[in-house]
Amino acid sequence: MNERELVKRAKAGDYDAFTTLVNDNKNKIYSLAIKMIGNTEDAEDIVQETLLKAIDNIDRFREESSFGTWLYSIALNQARALLTKQKQTDLKPIEEYLPTKSAEDLHKKSIPNLFEWKDPHKELEDEELKKIIDKVIDSLPWKYKEVFLLRYLEELPIKEIAKIINESVASTKSRVLRAKLAIREQLSKVFKERYGEKMFRLH
Amino acid sequence: MGKKCLDYINDLNDYIDGQIDSDLYQEIENHLKQCENCRIMIDTLKKTVSLCREGKELKELKLPPPLEKKLNDMLKKHWQEKFGK
Repeated sequence: MNERELVKRAKAGDYDAFTTLVNDNKNKIYSLAIKMIGNTEDAEDIVQETLLKAIDNIDRFREESSFGTWLYSIALNQARALLTKQKQTDLKPIEEYLPTKSAEDLHKKSIPNLFEWKDPHKELEDEELKKIIDKVIDSLPWKYKEVFLLRYLEELPIKEIAKIINESVASTKSRVLRAKLAIREQLSKVFKERYGEKMFRLH
Repeated sequence: MGKKCLDYINDLNDYIDGQIDSDLYQEIENHLKQCENCRIMIDTLKKTVSLCREGKELKELKLPPPLEKKLNDMLKKHWQEKFGK
């Protein structure tokens, strides 16, 4: 039975159809929640609340996205609610992350902050690198963390992420890029603080 | 990075993810040949993504069986309260 038929039946009160839809997605939600929140206890609460909300609101599911995408958006709202107390600092405009910001800077001979990384694996133990990355991703403001995880860990297409976060495709792309730039900046800081110039090829 | 670079900025996601139409791809490639700043930016952003993917758990995690049982019971009860069956 295809998803559309299952949704139709679930809306009419068929519990078996609902559980089939849920079974296809509940581990995905659990995995996402752990990546977003970082602990299993809260992730379990998010799964539970997400599925209870799905029951409450199934009549309102308009089928403009897949059932899984709809569940993802409920789960992210639940996770966001859980973390509302966490401070959400906004990120700088994209231009602020770029090595140089103005046309006048373009051909200057010396740009002190411009560098590229050497292979971090050559300088760092894998476990240490993992810890750094976890910390950097966890420190991202929520709206950037969610799109980054959905795009690069869940590997969802931009169009689907746009539906989940209820933003335009253009705005979603911009947010994903800002997330990457922010992570890169944070990684650069950590690498530089801990390992100095040996992590970089300076120009 | 100047005005020209900023013109490309919003297409960089697609470029980095390899999802870009061939004309724009070629245009960006040509730009990269001339612009070291953009080359470095693309290189470090690609590394950022690959490091994060290596550093985070990618496989799908499974709900622990005791939780799954508890969850199933709870959902069924909630369903019955809503639909009365």
